[in-house]
Amino acid sequence: MPPSPISDLPTSSAAAASNDVDNNLQPFFVLHKALPRKSERKSSGFGTAKRKIDLPPSSLKSIEKSDVSSTEEASDWIYEQLRLEAFNRTWSKIDSTIKDVLRQINLNLFDEVQSWVLESFSKIKSIRPHKISEIQRPYPLVTDIICRKIPTALILTKNVEFVDDLLTFQELGGHLKSSGCHVAYLTSLDFSVKHGISGCLRSLLRQLVSEAPDMADISILASWYCEPENCDNPVLVIIDDSERCCGAVLADFITMLSEWVIKIPIIFIMGVATTFDAPRRLLPSDAQQHLHPCKFTLGSPCEKMNALIESVLVKSCSGFSIGHKVAAFLRNYFLRHDGTFTSFVRALKLACVKHFEMEPLSFLGLDILDEDSEIFQQGQCDSLPDSLRNHAFNLPSCQREKILKGTGGSLVHGLTELRRLQKCWSSVVMCLFEVGKRKNMQLLDIFCEAIDPTLYNLRALDHNLQLSSLIGRNLIEGKSSSAKGGFIAQAIQQVRELPAASLSHLLNIWGVHTGEMNEIQDRVRELQSIISSGGGGLIFKEKCTDIHKRSRSLSAGKGTLSVNDKAAMLLDGMVRKFLMPIECVPFHEIVCFKHVDVLQSALIGDPRRTIQVDLLKSPTYLQCCCCSRGGNALSSSMHDTSIMYSLAQEYGDVINLHDWYQSFKATVLSASTKTKCKLQHSPASKKVKATPSESEATIQARFCRAVTELQIAGLLRMPSKRRPDFVQRVAFGL
Amino acid sequence: MDPTDGDDEEEFGLSRNYFLAKEIGSVSGRKSARKLSDIALVDEQVLRAAVPEIVPKHEKETASLLKSYKDLYSKWLFELRCGFGLLIYGFGSKKILLEDFASSALTDFGVIVINGYLPSVNIKQVVITIAEVLWDQLKTKRKCSTGSKPKHPFSSQSTEDLFLFLDGQLPNENDCFVCIVIHNIDGPALRDSESQQYLARIACCSHVRMIASIDHVNAPLLWDKKMVHTQFNWCWYHVPTFAPYKAEGIFFPLILASGGNAQTTKTALVVLESLTPNAQSVFKILAEHQLANEKEEGMPVNTLYTKCRERFLVSSQVTLNSHLTEFKDHELVKTRRHSEGQDCLYIPLASEVLEKLLQELV
Repeated sequence: MPPSPISDLPTSSAAAASNDVDNNLQPFFVLHKALPRKSERKSSGFGTAKRKIDLPPSSLKSIEKSDVSSTEEASDWIYEQLRLEAFNRTWSKIDSTIKDVLRQINLNLFDEVQSWVLESFSKIKSIRPHKISEIQRPYPLVTDIICRKIPTALILTKNVEFVDDLLTFQELGGHLKSSGCHVAYLTSLDFSVKHGISGCLRSLLRQLVSEAPDMADISILASWYCEPENCDNPVLVIIDDSERCCGAVLADFITMLSEWVIKIPIIFIMGVATTFDAPRRLLPSDAQQHLHPCKFTLGSPCEKMNALIESVLVKSCSGFSIGHKVAAFLRNYFLRHDGTFTSFVRALKLACVKHFEMEPLSFLGLDILDEDSEIFQQGQCDSLPDSLRNHAFNLPSCQREKILKGTGGSLVHGLTELRRLQKCWSSVVMCLFEVGKRKNMQLLDIFCEAIDPTLYNLRALDHNLQLSSLIGRNLIEGKSSSAKGGFIAQAIQQVRELPAASLSHLLNIWGVHTGEMNEIQDRVRELQSIISSGGGGLIFKEKCTDIHKRSRSLSAGKGTLSVNDKAAMLLDGMVRKFLMPIECVPFHEIVCFKHVDVLQSALIGDPRRTIQVDLLKSPTYLQCCCCSRGGNALSSSMHDTSIMYSLAQEYGDVINLHDWYQSFKATVLSASTKTKCKLQHSPASKKVKATPSESEATIQARFCRAVTELQIAGLLRMPSKRRPDFVQRVAFGL
Repeated sequence: MDPTDGDDEEEFGLSRNYFLAKEIGSVSGRKSARKLSDIALVDEQVLRAAVPEIVPKHEKETASLLKSYKDLYSKWLFELRCGFGLLIYGFGSKKILLEDFASSALTDFGVIVINGYLPSVNIKQVVITIAEVLWDQLKTKRKCSTGSKPKHPFSSQSTEDLFLFLDGQLPNENDCFVCIVIHNIDGPALRDSESQQYLARIACCSHVRMIASIDHVNAPLLWDKKMVHTQFNWCWYHVPTFAPYKAEGIFFPLILASGGNAQTTKTALVVLESLTPNAQSVFKILAEHQLANEKEEGMPVNTLYTKCRERFLVSSQVTLNSHLTEFKDHELVKTRRHSEGQDCLYIPLASEVLEKLLQELV
């Protein structure tokens, strides 16, 4: 129990402050304040992580000779710290990669918006009087009504899920800020009916005017803008989810600002999820008149997704990757469950956390991609305590490959090999994607297929294996593949169908992707030279592009192959040889997260189902010997609420309280041996006389408490006035 | 441990869907017209006294269940330090578990507990307290504080300024945060969307980590995607404890205490006793008439008026009407249409209850 929680609340009486019961009735209280670090080391004696020694990893060796148990605990703690640090570094790498990728995608748009902003600003400036004294008057300038229009950039997000674009608008704001504009972000929360126009104005002032008084007065903004250091730049108001705003408040805001637009050159940037005419649906016509809209369009979520997969998962920028099942889960989660980019990234982060939390050696993965760090890694591996080293060689992937107990050296060697194989793998995936792009394939699909160890093993088993059987297997397992064939097979097929120009272009890109694979480079160059020399195969190919199938069989018959076929064979060969999923490589557990169930349960809680299962299967959790386990029979020893909820299953959408009470009473009073036969007639069972040990009051109290608990769980609705003798069931089935 | 296999579903015999339930409901609803009053209900005070006396079942097992969750503490801490929030769910009160976790594993950090199961919580006050605790923590962590001292006491700052402080960036101080334990983030005090927006904003501050419990099966409906993915950043844990909801259940009415006739007699009595003797007598005339003519639909208003005039209880129709309005407001009297089209008054209580009421009113 908490050591006398201190209550800092003014409302709590000092005498009872340490009292638990009293704390239960406080809206909130301070349980404890942070203890100073040193004393904390001693007091945190829960579980295994006793923190007695805080040493940098370099001095690990020196501890090894001291007292065994405390050393183990200390090193446990140190390694936990290492893993935490490794997570932080890994994720910040991934995070910054993601941000870079997204910024890159949006950069063109940002530049477009910027030049539009400058253009609009110069238009306003041209109307504006030049005398500074005139601008500094504390009232709006009177101008022609035509000029009172606020330039408005409507940015079509092409995405109903506005969460995905929050970051984009932040970045856009940052981009524009860097060019000197004043930027304020408003969200739909600022435009609420409750706070009205003062809410958004206040928020605007707070962001622009430092030391702003807490008043909603536009003249404060005007006088701020008149200051010489502010008046040379436009004021940008970014509303990322404009369609979720309250239309009336937004209209007022627009009308008010339009009065001032000459004096304070305001420019709106609004995110629009639907179509260009969104303002027409949202705003009354007089407010619309004050807007001068201009349309911009963001990149599609698919584009973002491909870029993300490429940079984070394929060209692995960090020492973290995911196994096939996790990849398939994430794909499903993205496609079916949520569909937002943000949730995908969050799921990936959670997988990353879980990996560094669960895999004791995960910290070794951090430097796996850095070739210069081999020596450092060697040192790290040599200094591993025996338990961790054994762990490394007991990893299933190691056992499978029959790598015998080895030294730190063989571990380093294993990791280096892992890195080499990963690089080859990612090169091949990128080559495949280059082809797939032409057929609108998504990298995520190709990735999921490329990372599947069963497919790899099948490919390795039988070189002549026809693709169709692969596909069949895929369909049986319900995996990602379209009807025509696996994505990889489709990509290879696609190569055969490419026109010459595209093929040549493709080969150039392959050349870049396979930069470090000499063997492949040579073959690519060979093919390139055939194309540039205008080889016979090519001419032949071009003749019969429309009936390519026959042409291929013809050419095969003649024993000559077209360049396309050669390229396809090259790709096929690359796939067979180098597309080795990470899960087939020894030591992959150190960098690869495979626990899909852990990820799923942490990511998607399912309280609706789970809480019901808790109640219906309480003996499984409690592991008691008194209640019937496995069977569904009720026994009097079960948890009261559990009995009640099981009984409730026998009713329809309403439960008669009287009947429910009687069957509850019958259940709790029956000896556990008789339970099974008593249960049959539960809803209408006759009154059972209370034994002296269980008084009527106690049973009624137990009934009441169980009803309350079901109410807390949200599984019951209380009787209405119309039907005072019935409660309503809320959940039906799991 | 996890009994959520697909096969089990059938085993529960639970696969009945909503419509099936509706069907059963309409049939059994007609069939079973038994009243709560058929149970020999004990007196409310006895009932209330009995609730805390309930002998807990499976004390040993629940205790060992709670103990088994201690192994999760280090994981929880790891995830908090990685920037995730913890959302604990599963049947049973999680109050003791969370507070135990906080006081044993979160000693490095200040911990504030919010009891969301209470009827109301002032979130602004909470934010102020968080800021104060964080301030203390920062002060002790770095002796030379580089951050600017708050110019005003936190209590007089605006919520926005407080959020700015909580969300401050500190170089090399990733691991400095205040933990907020929220019992029942889905509780009555926090269930409205404004509170949830505030909590979400608190949760995404860089110096705050949240540990919350939910009990309601529909709790996730409180949050939109922005809150879930970018603000709360939950890591879910299914942790059923089967501990009684002692603190959480305090504010729920006892179903057998509030529903039955005993309660109605009592409330009716309380209302009647607060009225004038004349009004009480009018009620008595109506009650006696109803007891004498149980099969009739009620007493016509003019009959009542005549009787009341005879006994000098009212002088005019207006006075009677004012009494009747009072009765109707407290649901002591209702009107319904007579078979001959006449409006008549009746008392919506069973005869026994009415008799008991008349006895006590004297």
